Amino acid sequence: MNLESEAFVPAGRARAWSALNDPLVLRECIPGCETLEASSATELRVVATVKIGPVKARFKGIVTIDDIDPGNAYSLTGSGAGGIAGFAKLVARVTLVDGDGGTIIRYAAQAQVGGKLAQIGARVIDATAQALARSFFTRFCEVLSAAPGQPAAQSILAPRCADDADPAVQ
Amino acid sequence: MDSPSTRDRANAYIGRALPRLGIKRFLAGRGRYVTDQVLPRMLHAAFIRSPHAHARIVSIDTSAAAAMPGVHRVVTGGDLSSVCKPWTGTLAHFAGMKSPPQLPLPLERVLWAGQPVIAIAAESRAQAEDAAEAVVIEYEALPAVTDAMSGCSPRAQPIHPEFDDNICFRTVLDTGGIDACLQRAAHVVEEKFYFGRHTAVTLEPRAIIADYAASEEQLTVYHAAQTPYQFQDLYARHFSIPEARVRVIAPDIGGSFGMKLHVYHEEMAVVSLSILLGRPVKFVADRTECFVSDIHAREHCINARIALDEKGTILAMDVQDVAGIGAFSSYPRTSAVEGNQVVRLIGAPYRLRDYRAALSIVFQNKVQTSQYRAVGHPIACAVTERLVDLAAARLGIDPFTLRARNVIRDDAYPCETLTGYQLEQLSHEACLAKLRAMMNYDELRLEQQHLRGRGIYRGIGVAAFVEITNPGPLFYGVGGARISAQDGAILKLTPSGDVHCLTSVTEQGQGTEAMIGQIVADQLGVAHERIKVITGDTDVTPHGGATWASRGAGIGGETALQVARRLKTNILSLAAAVLQCDSSTLNIEDGQIVTSGTRARHMSLADLAGLAYFRSDRLPEGADAQLSVAHHFSPKGYPFAFTNGAQACWVEVDIDTGLVKVLKHWIVEDCGRIINPLLVDEQLRGGVVQGLGAAFFEECLYDEDGQLTNGSLVDYLVPMAGEMPDIEIGHVETPTAQTELGAKGCGEAGTAGASAAALNAVNDAIAPFGAALAQLPMTPLRILSALGCIPDSNASTRRAVPEHVE
Repeated sequence: MNLESEAFVPAGRARAWSALNDPLVLRECIPGCETLEASSATELRVVATVKIGPVKARFKGIVTIDDIDPGNAYSLTGSGAGGIAGFAKLVARVTLVDGDGGTIIRYAAQAQVGGKLAQIGARVIDATAQALARSFFTRFCEVLSAAPGQPAAQSILAPRCADDADPAVQ
Repeated sequence: MDSPSTRDRANAYIGRALPRLGIKRFLAGRGRYVTDQVLPRMLHAAFIRSPHAHARIVSIDTSAAAAMPGVHRVVTGGDLSSVCKPWTGTLAHFAGMKSPPQLPLPLERVLWAGQPVIAIAAESRAQAEDAAEAVVIEYEALPAVTDAMSGCSPRAQPIHPEFDDNICFRTVLDTGGIDACLQRAAHVVEEKFYFGRHTAVTLEPRAIIADYAASEEQLTVYHAAQTPYQFQDLYARHFSIPEARVRVIAPDIGGSFGMKLHVYHEEMAVVSLSILLGRPVKFVADRTECFVSDIHAREHCINARIALDEKGTILAMDVQDVAGIGAFSSYPRTSAVEGNQVVRLIGAPYRLRDYRAALSIVFQNKVQTSQYRAVGHPIACAVTERLVDLAAARLGIDPFTLRARNVIRDDAYPCETLTGYQLEQLSHEACLAKLRAMMNYDELRLEQQHLRGRGIYRGIGVAAFVEITNPGPLFYGVGGARISAQDGAILKLTPSGDVHCLTSVTEQGQGTEAMIGQIVADQLGVAHERIKVITGDTDVTPHGGATWASRGAGIGGETALQVARRLKTNILSLAAAVLQCDSSTLNIEDGQIVTSGTRARHMSLADLAGLAYFRSDRLPEGADAQLSVAHHFSPKGYPFAFTNGAQACWVEVDIDTGLVKVLKHWIVEDCGRIINPLLVDEQLRGGVVQGLGAAFFEECLYDEDGQLTNGSLVDYLVPMAGEMPDIEIGHVETPTAQTELGAKGCGEAGTAGASAAALNAVNDAIAPFGAALAQLPMTPLRILSALGCIPDSNASTRRAVPEHVE
């Protein structure tokens, strides 16, 4: 499955880039995300529950960030095991460009699912992936729109540090 | 003795459209399937399946699952390898065939998406499934071989490291003169075919309860299986239990179509679990599991050509067939039989002078394929009949006429096909003539022409077919498989004059018991309501092959006829002793001992049996009351009883949407002696529907990574009643002379030729556009692609096919 689209966010490129690299923001915005920890500068450990068609699966996965062009682009490679539901793999290139009054985030992703997810979810997987992406960017915009200084935004956009993150993440 | 065809006497049931006895029980919801069985202390099994088409198992952690509520055991491949001996799906008469040994659960690698990896036994299925979520399996994904064509290339990585390539079996049939014939021939027509794999989708899924009692060393298995004795033998040998202590019970079964006679990993794991735990263990496959574990069938890429002389005489056919069979050859019947029958049945209705076929059976990382209703026939028939239609178009000869000109003449039997099939007596000419009259062929052509002028595109497709039925021991036994080609029956006269018939043929919903009962009642001379037929229990019925390859009526029916005649002889001999007369002057009619000819009544069977069972003191000296008879019958002579027929399909193609409406379907079939026309007609109709399913709807779609992407009834289309046409049936009756009964099989005839007729019909409909297609199923997308209405979006579904070697 190939997914290629873009989203406009009402924030400057530097702020958008920073948020895209912030585990707490990502955790807040990824639909169904339960935990998201940075295990190194370029590796995230993620637990998320995703429903694809009739299959609901709790994925435990690792996302690696590489090919980083700071402020402009990075690539994500992720794979997650969903237990008896199967597995999912993702390769994505995320590119940021200046937009009118904000930033355009372009993404091109190839995803692969296996097991029961493919067997009974294949028909709805494209639509589900698009809906998940929409949901992510809607929330992402909300987070970025929150005026700096408000408590929620402050806590979310706190300096990136896995050690002092929400205890629930530990 | 009355001949089976004497219909002007009492109890003349053979050939009569009697309603099925005992069928109301199903309407009343009183069917008893494996799913309905509940045993004390019974546990339920669930399986964890591989999400990868090909992967190495890196690690398995079952500790959390084992501690879950209700869980009794979580087992891996290693745990069961000491309980169950491995099995290998090869047969000795397929020279050079190879397939690795299989175990219930894998040890190191998974070879298809859906392969069971872990089995869990718990107090309920829900608890077992909950525990499944707590098992952690780490895999290292490996490249998958999914496409059979690339899988058989010498560059392909073998999916089994112990082998050098992915070829399970190869064979070549060659009469020798094909190249010269092709060079000389006035016309050579070629087509490349692709057949999508599909599966059986039985109403009742696979189901099993294994109950091992260590104290008696007794294994009882309730199994939704076609072949109880085959499984008794397999369980005895693979679990090292004396055969007499293995009892297999096949209760009511909701359809099988060949799918329920193969060894499945889950079933062997369930028996293993019962042995390990000493408790009954039940497993019923859910529909999602069925799609990735029931056998699939019919994945073939074929390149074929036909040669004709300038007058339209068919001279020769040349065929390359590559068939993908999944990760292992199935057991015990193998996955080579289908391909073998494809290359041996191509061209079978016609008088060929030369023939060549090369078959490659290829391993892939997909579900196993094996025997499914009409094994190989639909492929062989579609290839043959499409080529005949293409040839007819090339030569400008009407396709009906070209067939009638080239089929083996009805007076040319017995004869043998170029592929070695011995034909006793077929009736192609009679069937084609009857079909042509039934469908008003000439009027239909005029109607088609007329409608084309109005922009309505209808097509007529015709297909002649040959069906293999009643196989003898040269089918499996010769290759070392312990699969019986004979059947047994025990007939018992009860004290009240009823009759119990215990037979080794089995019932899966098609009416076997009714058919057997009619034969027994007919031959014995009792009302058919007084016969009770009992099937499907190895502790009760005699040993026999059961139901597959359209053998129930031909072999099981002949067994019933012979056992009834033997019991009748015993009854008349006893009656003669009682009545102090010669037994040859007596007969049985409607349960009464009568004088032959005058029909004067002497005593009822109840009187006679009562005397024998309760007052044997009053029997005259020397009277021998043998009122139970056991009898076996094995086909001899011809290795198979071939049947034949012809089908036609009338379709309308919507050239804007690619949708096809099947307007009407006709079948003329010759299954020899018909025992119950209602049952035969419904077998034919059901078979046609399955053939039309393959033609238009059914396909197991895999992505390039080996993931099945339509494994549910939402996405996998089965033919529905609303899409099915009226199916008109005609018969030609040519009884086989190999048995007294004269019956051949009819169970697969509909499926054998329906998709070929549909393929020709759709091509006939779109011929005015210069369009053609040779891929099944004929989905709207493929039809629109063939019409050029949409860009060639078929790239993902159009595959490479094997090339002819010049």
